[in-house]
Amino acid sequence: MIFLPAFIVIVFLTVYPIFNVFHMSFFKYNYLSDTKKFLGFTNFIRIITDRLFQKSFINTIIFSAAATFAEVGIGLFLALLFYGFFKGKRLFMIMVIFPMMISTMVVSSIWKTLYHYDIGLFNYILKSIGLHPVGWLINPKMALFSVIIVDIWQWTPFAFIILQAGLNTIPGEIFEAASIDGANYYKTIKLITLPILFNQILLVILLRTIDTFRIFGKVYALTQGGPGNATETVTYYVYREGFTYFNLGRASTASIYILIVISLISVLYIRNIMREEK
Amino acid sequence: MAGTSLERKGIIFRITLIIILIIAIFPVYWIVITSFKRPVENISPVPTFFPKVITIQNYINVLKGGFFKFLFNSLFVASLSTLFSLAMAFLASYALVRHKFPFKLNYIFLIWVLVVKILPPIVLAIPLYTIFTSAHLINSRIGLVIVYQVYTLPYCIWMLFGFLKAMPVEFEQAAEIDGASKFKTLTIIVIPLTTSGIIATAIFSIIVAWDEFLFALLFIRNPDLLTLPLRIVNFITEYETLWGELMAIGLMTTLPVLLFSGYVYRRMTEGFSLSLK
Repeated sequence: MIFLPAFIVIVFLTVYPIFNVFHMSFFKYNYLSDTKKFLGFTNFIRIITDRLFQKSFINTIIFSAAATFAEVGIGLFLALLFYGFFKGKRLFMIMVIFPMMISTMVVSSIWKTLYHYDIGLFNYILKSIGLHPVGWLINPKMALFSVIIVDIWQWTPFAFIILQAGLNTIPGEIFEAASIDGANYYKTIKLITLPILFNQILLVILLRTIDTFRIFGKVYALTQGGPGNATETVTYYVYREGFTYFNLGRASTASIYILIVISLISVLYIRNIMREEK
Repeated sequence: MAGTSLERKGIIFRITLIIILIIAIFPVYWIVITSFKRPVENISPVPTFFPKVITIQNYINVLKGGFFKFLFNSLFVASLSTLFSLAMAFLASYALVRHKFPFKLNYIFLIWVLVVKILPPIVLAIPLYTIFTSAHLINSRIGLVIVYQVYTLPYCIWMLFGFLKAMPVEFEQAAEIDGASKFKTLTIIVIPLTTSGIIATAIFSIIVAWDEFLFALLFIRNPDLLTLPLRIVNFITEYETLWGELMAIGLMTTLPVLLFSGYVYRRMTEGFSLSLK
């Protein structure tokens, strides 16, 4: 069966580990001391009442919601703004997608220099117009916001391109007909563009929600979850429990909570995809 | 068509266009100039928009610091994991498109593939780490190639499935009537017909593997086996960051991928939104 190699690899790399995580979430298991003890649901209660986990969960929700909202909102705005044809459009679009083509680690490096408190460009600009410098990544109140900005910069082009492609499938005649009927610009958008684009918008929202929910690299490179735990996300929490403290049981339990949230998003996503498939 | 579509002009439109463009590419400009500045200039509290003295010392240091080693690791891992994924995904997708499966197994499998694409990889990291440790696949490029299948395989299956489904069955039927074997039908008919799809899938898969960070971080401790993203992170998290060298290695890591921008843009506008990501 030519189907088997892929099937076996998928089962081995994903199905088995998930059962394993589920199993381990009921144990106290430390990799270093190699002690394993059955705990029942204790981990589940401990994790969900853990202040740090709650904080990381809230951070993830804020990050995911704010970034997705801004990316899709700005992307839609740009798609509408740059609808139609102009000279150099192709080149313009290709340069606009540079941010999403750059490797996340490189993106993080650039922003880390721009955000730098002493030598960063942003603080230099603030100081030169007479404002106080901002601790972009070192002020606990700012750090999460700063990470969100980086994600917006990197991924708005994605929303922009997809929505722009969707917009271009709408025949120009529809807009002409609408303008002959006396519809103004905003009415055209509200009554024609948005309904036609609805599925695409939904899809981009889902894709961005999924992707922002799994954020790890940016946090690792920019803030390491800090300052304090201001930018700790759930993925970072699992990483720390599992690979710094080697509490595999606790890390597994936290993973199960992530899985629960993801499965809710999956249902929406898969329904959407399967509808498009048909 | 062109006749009915809007031609955009006007000074305000032009200005907005330029502002957007600056926001999008300014950080790229910043990498380039920073990489050509001397270390002193890079830690000056007054940033300069153009290097006072242009130096290529940063690049020399990066190249001397083992860049080619890391480049080789990245290339090795990205290309091999893509190659394996393509082969397995092609066969599996072909089976999914052309064969009957009992118990809706094909349907379940495809949905699972989508779920894996959505899954935050950290969720799989702990059991995989344990398995790979006991199989001595930690600190090994091959281990990384295997674990990258978590990303590249679902990706390739989903994309190739789309391409293969769009292919008419008649050609294969004709080949079969002419007495061609299954293997021959695949190699002479199906693969040539889907070449552009296979190339697209390969490019996207290579980009994904090229940028991968989490499993590289967890599975590679040996400094000789670092991939480029890992080497970059080491630069960032070092106590005293060498900004010029960081930007030099960043630019060299990104440039090959940036060259694909035009291609990626075309694919994305052709309605590949579903296969992406």
